[in-house]
Amino acid sequence: MDKDEKFFKAMGDKISSRIDKKRRFYFNVKNEDLREVVDYLFKTMGCRLSTATGIEMYHGLEILYHFSDDDTGTYFCPRVVIKDKEHPKVKSIVPIVKGAEWIERELFDFWGIEFEDHPRMERLLALHHPQNLKEPMRFGRDS
Amino acid sequence: MIANSIPIGPFHPLLEEAEYFELKVDGETVVDIDMEIGWMHRGHEFISEMKTFTQSIYLVERICGICSTSHPIACVHAIEDIDNIEIPIRAKYIRTLVGELERIHSHLLWLGLAGHFIGYDTLWMWVWRYREPVLQMFEIISGNRNHYGMMRIGGVAKDVDPASIPDLAKIFDMLGKKMAMLAGAVKDDPVLRSRLKGVGVLSYDDAVAYCATGPTSRASGVRGDVRKDESTDAYGLVEFDEIVLPNGDVYDKLVLRVLEVIESVKICRQCLEKLKEIKGPILNDVKEISPGEGIGRYEAPRGEVFHYIRSDGSNRPIRHKVRAPSFVNIPTYTASCKGIPVADVLITLASIDPCYCCTERSLKVVNKENDPCLIDLLKISREKTERIRREINGSK
Repeated sequence: MDKDEKFFKAMGDKISSRIDKKRRFYFNVKNEDLREVVDYLFKTMGCRLSTATGIEMYHGLEILYHFSDDDTGTYFCPRVVIKDKEHPKVKSIVPIVKGAEWIERELFDFWGIEFEDHPRMERLLALHHPQNLKEPMRFGRDS
Repeated sequence: MIANSIPIGPFHPLLEEAEYFELKVDGETVVDIDMEIGWMHRGHEFISEMKTFTQSIYLVERICGICSTSHPIACVHAIEDIDNIEIPIRAKYIRTLVGELERIHSHLLWLGLAGHFIGYDTLWMWVWRYREPVLQMFEIISGNRNHYGMMRIGGVAKDVDPASIPDLAKIFDMLGKKMAMLAGAVKDDPVLRSRLKGVGVLSYDDAVAYCATGPTSRASGVRGDVRKDESTDAYGLVEFDEIVLPNGDVYDKLVLRVLEVIESVKICRQCLEKLKEIKGPILNDVKEISPGEGIGRYEAPRGEVFHYIRSDGSNRPIRHKVRAPSFVNIPTYTASCKGIPVADVLITLASIDPCYCCTERSLKVVNKENDPCLIDLLKISREKTERIRREINGSK
């Protein structure tokens, strides 16, 4: 059984709205299942977190994580949709993937998404901004 | 224990770009390091979303002066990934040739700077001498020494002139010999060995935990090279070795880059041979991009460049995410700088070949109260100049 088949079998109904492309898998994950999915991808499958993309859509904020399986060149992209645009909150994956610290801080900087259990939840790029920004930088601009 | 702080930056002679490091030291030993970035942001992601797909390729070319073809390659890969667009075989070899030339000049640039940072200017002058012919090759191929404008969706913009191939082959012959000599010299050099061996070690576990990429992770024994993993463009059609070294110190990072230059010369020569034989188009006509999302990546000299593009079927991306390798490599300082003497910090910071322009590429500041308030650095600069002028005039 291929790695990707094993992964989808192990995760079962934690995964929905799956889109398969050539060496790319995009799928939705609920906030409460995120850590389990990430743990499997990072620790069991040995994937590397490339980055996470924040996207503001009409229906809410999306966070799309990009995990690369460097053995096969395949990308696994769990997507978490946050409906509450005013107070977006997601579980941090830093306790599992240390390399996610800056990635989550950048998302906080852009969209104000708060990551629960993040060791240092503060702005990354605009920490010393000359205008002392009060709001997330792309808040309300993309939809 | 009494810990003191040593600030480095945000403006410092070692750092060509603005960034800030705060070293917590106990005597001469670094016990912790804090990093702050944010002085270089220009808003490429947001600007790209206001451009057409073709225009955004030119935009991302300007994210970094050194990786000026890695970002465009990753960008066109992302756009092509949306519709699984195939490119002509000749274009594949040209993309690979230009990408590898960039790796050679970037690695040679870093080698020279690394020599300069440790006070070994002989290495700096020696290496940069061989970088110059690489820039000349860019000029022969694209007409430019930097910002080559070669990438297009569905292929490349310019063909390699068959009449120039013998000249390029001669330069590669010279480079191949000189790089072999350089590799031998670097490995045997007692100064480099004693100064860099065991300095700024990034362990295998830390490289994996921080999701490091490129030479930074490969010098720590972590396998992973986009050229091998995805085999896009002509990388699946040429022979080369992925260099992986075990120790994770600055010395291994230096040797790894020299060895990678040799592999790159090998790839370029194979591409030139193929370009002599293969004729045909260099660009497929791409009329429109379907709604969907695509991931494009490329092994830049510093590691994996990652682009994500989402299309709604119009001629513009609705989301364009860019992640440069330095963004994931810089946090590894937390692991590699702890426990080393202060004197070793500067070369350790330089060892990942950091690029802060790339790292902070992403931001465009939009303030709701002051719309449309893109932070206009030019405006801020003019205001400051005006203020200084007024102060000078007032003091007279």
